[in-house]
Amino acid sequence: MRIKKAVITAAGERQRRLPLQELVDRDGKARTVLAILVNDAVRAEIEEICIVVRPGDESDYLEAVPEQRSILRFVEQPEPLGYGDAIWRARNFVGGDAFLHLVSDHLFVGCESAGDTATALLRLATAEECCVSAVRPTHESLLRAFGAVSGQPVSGYPGVYRVQSVLEKPTPTLAEQKLVIPSLRAGHYLAFFGMHLLTPLVMEILDELLRSGATSPQGAASAHGSRVTLSDALAVLARREKYLALEVHAERFDLGSTYGLLTSQLALALSGQDRAEILSLMVQLLANEQLRPLETKPQ
Amino acid sequence: MSALTEIILSEQEAVRDSPIDGVCQQASVETLLAECEALHSFQESDSNLYRRVRALVFLAAIHRYHLPEKLPDGASAAIPYEGHTHLLHRRYEEAIASFLNAQRMLGPAESISSALAAAYRGLAFQTLAEQVRHSVRSIRGNQWMFRSAHVDDYPLRLHPALLTKQDGLFPVLAESTPVRMDLSHSGWSDIFFLGMDYPEGARVLNVSVDLTVRDGASAAPRPPVEAYLRVIDEPVLRLVSVDLKSQVDVSTLDECFDFARDYLGLLKAAVIASGLVPAGMEGSGQSLQKLLTALTGSRGMGIEIVSKVNDIPKGSRLAVSTNLLACLITACMRATGQICVLDGPLEESDRRLVAARAILGEWLGGSGGGWQDSGGVWPGIKLIQGVAAVLGDVEYGVSRGCLLPSHTILERDRISDDARRKLENSLVLVHGGMAQDVGPILEMVTEKYLLRSMPEWQGRQRAHDLFDQIVEAMRAGDTQRIGACTQENFDGPIQTIIPWAANQYTETLIHEVRNAFGAAFHGFWMLGGMSGGGMGFIFDPSEKSRALSTLPGLMQQIKKRMEHAVPFAMDPVVYDFAINDRGTSAMLLRGSGALLPAAYYTLVAPPLLRQEVRGLTPARRAELVHMGVACQQRQDFTGMVPALIEHLLPHDDESARDVRGNLDDLLRRHGFDSVQHEAVRADLRAGRVGLMKNTLHASTRVENVGREEIVDSCVPLGARYAALGRDALAADALAVVSLSGGVGSRWTHGAGVVKAINPFCKLAGAYRSFLEVHLAKSRRACGLYRSRIPHVFTTSYLTHQPIAEHLAAHANHGYDAPICLSAGRTIGLRLVPMVRDLRFLWEQTPQQLLDERKQKVRESMRSGLLQWATQMGEGSDYRDNSPMQCLHPVGHWYEIPNMLLNGTLTQLIAVQPGLKHLLLHNIDTLGADVDPALFGLHLESGAMLTSEVVSRSLEDRGGGLARVDGRLRLIEGLALPDESLELSLSYYNSGTMWISIEKLLDFFGLHRQSLIDPVQVLTAVRRAASRMPTYITLKDVKKRWGKGHEDVLPVAQFEKLWGDMTALQEVETQYVLVPRRRGQQLKDVAQLDPWMRDGSAAHVAALCDWNGG
Repeated sequence: MRIKKAVITAAGERQRRLPLQELVDRDGKARTVLAILVNDAVRAEIEEICIVVRPGDESDYLEAVPEQRSILRFVEQPEPLGYGDAIWRARNFVGGDAFLHLVSDHLFVGCESAGDTATALLRLATAEECCVSAVRPTHESLLRAFGAVSGQPVSGYPGVYRVQSVLEKPTPTLAEQKLVIPSLRAGHYLAFFGMHLLTPLVMEILDELLRSGATSPQGAASAHGSRVTLSDALAVLARREKYLALEVHAERFDLGSTYGLLTSQLALALSGQDRAEILSLMVQLLANEQLRPLETKPQ
Repeated sequence: MSALTEIILSEQEAVRDSPIDGVCQQASVETLLAECEALHSFQESDSNLYRRVRALVFLAAIHRYHLPEKLPDGASAAIPYEGHTHLLHRRYEEAIASFLNAQRMLGPAESISSALAAAYRGLAFQTLAEQVRHSVRSIRGNQWMFRSAHVDDYPLRLHPALLTKQDGLFPVLAESTPVRMDLSHSGWSDIFFLGMDYPEGARVLNVSVDLTVRDGASAAPRPPVEAYLRVIDEPVLRLVSVDLKSQVDVSTLDECFDFARDYLGLLKAAVIASGLVPAGMEGSGQSLQKLLTALTGSRGMGIEIVSKVNDIPKGSRLAVSTNLLACLITACMRATGQICVLDGPLEESDRRLVAARAILGEWLGGSGGGWQDSGGVWPGIKLIQGVAAVLGDVEYGVSRGCLLPSHTILERDRISDDARRKLENSLVLVHGGMAQDVGPILEMVTEKYLLRSMPEWQGRQRAHDLFDQIVEAMRAGDTQRIGACTQENFDGPIQTIIPWAANQYTETLIHEVRNAFGAAFHGFWMLGGMSGGGMGFIFDPSEKSRALSTLPGLMQQIKKRMEHAVPFAMDPVVYDFAINDRGTSAMLLRGSGALLPAAYYTLVAPPLLRQEVRGLTPARRAELVHMGVACQQRQDFTGMVPALIEHLLPHDDESARDVRGNLDDLLRRHGFDSVQHEAVRADLRAGRVGLMKNTLHASTRVENVGREEIVDSCVPLGARYAALGRDALAADALAVVSLSGGVGSRWTHGAGVVKAINPFCKLAGAYRSFLEVHLAKSRRACGLYRSRIPHVFTTSYLTHQPIAEHLAAHANHGYDAPICLSAGRTIGLRLVPMVRDLRFLWEQTPQQLLDERKQKVRESMRSGLLQWATQMGEGSDYRDNSPMQCLHPVGHWYEIPNMLLNGTLTQLIAVQPGLKHLLLHNIDTLGADVDPALFGLHLESGAMLTSEVVSRSLEDRGGGLARVDGRLRLIEGLALPDESLELSLSYYNSGTMWISIEKLLDFFGLHRQSLIDPVQVLTAVRRAASRMPTYITLKDVKKRWGKGHEDVLPVAQFEKLWGDMTALQEVETQYVLVPRRRGQQLKDVAQLDPWMRDGSAAHVAALCDWNGG
């Protein structure tokens, strides 16, 4: 299995502008979120990246990645028909190849860089010749934002699980019934990290689901309504072929959440060369009397 | 190995299912004690929960039934107070250790055994309850709620469809659920404990039904319970019960967990069990507003949940409350995405989840029935069976069965449409009007199952056969066969296992239905835990319509005959029903259709209409506009406008005026002494009297009395006493006085039933009342001793008329000697209690602690009652109930003086000049009979009183025989300066006394001739009364409202008690120890079953001659 392609989805209503936000990366260089993601993919030896965008957004995205324009391809999602549809739009780009998939509204920071995580996924997928999703133990209160998997640990491969089922944004009630993994802490489940190494079968399944007019059994109770999600396709995939999950230790930050950009920036900065400077800035802010809320000011 | 542990551990089913009676009846005291020791060690060390519990139940049974029988009568040893305190606080292991230590030191005794029996039984049930609790919490899907303790961890979000307004209104999620009826009963096999130990025997055939009460209007049956949920633009959790006419805006989490604070406990339990407010948040100090913000996604928003029961009365035995709980939980789980579908029926996995949550909700609310109760969530007819625990189940290795059963829906291929129709066309469902507490029955069933007593165990096996036959008859659509089976089930297994499941009302009803319908009546069918409430009658389809029109009148007639003797909560009703094939189901109401039911607006709209429009939130304004349109256009809103006007401008309530008038009239008629009442009220308010002031001074010396200080009649008294007694009886020197003025506060928990005529038990094949038993004993004595023994029943305002009517209706039960009713001449008006007295009772006196959840509910209820007392006005007259419930008898001291005041004694002496003595006893002391030896003992002593005492057992509370500052006397529990003293008193007052009439008259300063002078008698009685202490007591009184609902309220009253006569120097009293079977009093219905099983009932029956009755 040779993996040289990546697909980044950026057509969601909520995530359209997020990848264009500029942050200071760990090297102290101002870059857009998209540029950071593309850079991570390139470090994992990806040679060609397809970005799924809303019609008319292509030029903005090209501008956001000035250094690697040559490897970018664009596909439009004409109508907001959901996450599954967005990935499916890249089917011609992918062709018969396996590909790396990243979401554009998350930033991956940690002791192992996003590039390292992508590389680890690629290695495992290549060795096992199957789909691999990066997963992270996640508290049940946060499951509403992610897809999550249940699986059996694969002996001899620490942190690797054979996926048995996939649920999109499960409630803790459902998670407790379907997704408990004995080795994890109580109330924690393996939720998607936002990075997948997918085989062409995923595109086939998405094709089947979308053409048959299937609705997401899992999405009915969510804000996405009954649109097909990637989790729906992966749930089918898990029944058809080997599908692994790799537990990663990096952090993911949801840029779209309240203070998401701020937290991501802080995380980036604290993991880079300006850590000391940022810490001292934070201490100054903390010590500043003027910044206290009115009701807690000392008399 | 001991024989009994061998039974528990045996691999062979036949041995394992053998009863302990075989071993115990043959065993000596020493062998039994050795068995107890072996069982005790076994229960401490064995790893299997059910084997441990069985050992505990064996131990309880040995100490309750087998050991006391083999110990000498009257053997007494003090029950350690320390152990008793442990028992009250549910520290059973510590209590057992303390009692065992006492047994080692003092030797085996009936008193210690009674304490050990209670402690072992308590530990057995605590162990079982903890296992159920553990299983409920451990079910996957329930666990997370106990971990979620912080709002930041709160994981649920409302379904987006509920958050989008249309036409100014948020959508309404409307859930409706049928209730369940149980076709097979199967010997209460759906009790959790049974299903978890004996899954193969836990089977029921359960049908979901829609209902409507037949009241002339021809409404079609519909799902009886409904729940509604919607978003509101106020940051509160608004809970509304339309049928209980109650609403509350919950704004803190603490209020949400305070179940008994209002009538909305069930809704709160649903909110918590559904995870909407996770159980882990209890006591977390978190903000409900923040939680609601997280849930709805916006600040300032909240949730409204509304429940509605469509006129189905309480006690229907159709699991209305469990299905309402399940209905509410389903709506909340749909709204929060825990159930994938927002509307329509549920999938099987979701139904199981809801059932598990309903069990959790019942546990949270401190209630709980069986596992089939949430059957209404499922559609149609289903077989529900216990499931064996296998590897991977949380119960595996702990119990043989799982907590949750399996449900198999019997589709059309197994039960055809024709068979369903036949069932609908044959069955008449009714509510007989009685409302009883099924809780004690469920415990009895569990205990008997674990003991495997032969008749009950065989009954259970027979119930299994009948179950198979019912399923087969159902499949074949043979309703006649179903009727025959359900009738056989009721007559056979059900009553063999629990005789108390039947009662005279039900049996009379069945008898009269059979008379009226002959062969067209196919059989009776008991619904739920016991009969008298929800019941079924199966008829030939051609007779169903006649049955529907006949039954209401028939039930009403029988109720009328029995209403003073049996606790009825409401008038009987008949239902129309239909099998429901959807189970619980929901609709999402949107736009102008997103209104709540009309009855909701009748309750909620009046205060809103009184408000300024600008004070209403936008959603409320829009809602009222839409409601106005609905009043003009929608059929279900017809009649809303007049109802609203009635609420806005209520006219004077004539019924309330009638109640006031009746009460004043009753007070006048029954000799209410308003001067005395005002004095007591003033003293109570000023704190001069009260629970704390009932006690003797702290410096009073109260000492136990040794056996040598009293006469022991447990050993034969000697022939000369019996001869003396027989001679006096032959000379017609004795009359029996049964105290029958009481309304059995404990017997029916304040239902106001005349205890004397309550048909409490079947003896010699027929239901007998207390009164009839006493007459039967006296009849036997008349025959045996050739005596004419007049029988006096002292009555009160509540009991006089019903007892007189009962005696007339039964021709005095054929009693030949004179029967007199001594009418009460004094009456009290109950008072709203003082908060300090309530606090003293609940906080300062030893109280039985309940199971964790039930205790929480009790504490919450008590804080509500404290508020109630303050709001009503502490120490004010209690008039807020039916007039009879506002009055009280003023204690049994007055009963004997009443006989002087009302001329009963004069009359007796006139018809029986030889009369010299009275045998006085409580109505519930069933073993007290005219014993010539005891009578002889009394005669020879020459004392004014001979008081019968018994060796104390744990349940004997309320004082005893003591040496008080040197004088031997009876002391009331209320008067003891220190509660720990009570258990140190070896002898308990049985309430039975032999009284010398001459000496009694001397005491009052009267003689036979002066009895005809009412002024002289009145003066004498007043003088004596002034010397007797007055006790303030708190009694529970029921207030009935709505459709079969009851509130139990504590009220204050005052009493003077006869036992205090023994404190007076000039009253010479002799004390005699009698066997327990003679002195045993039946105060609580829960005592009946042990009374039946320990041979006491047979002993009493042997004292009776029923021939005249």
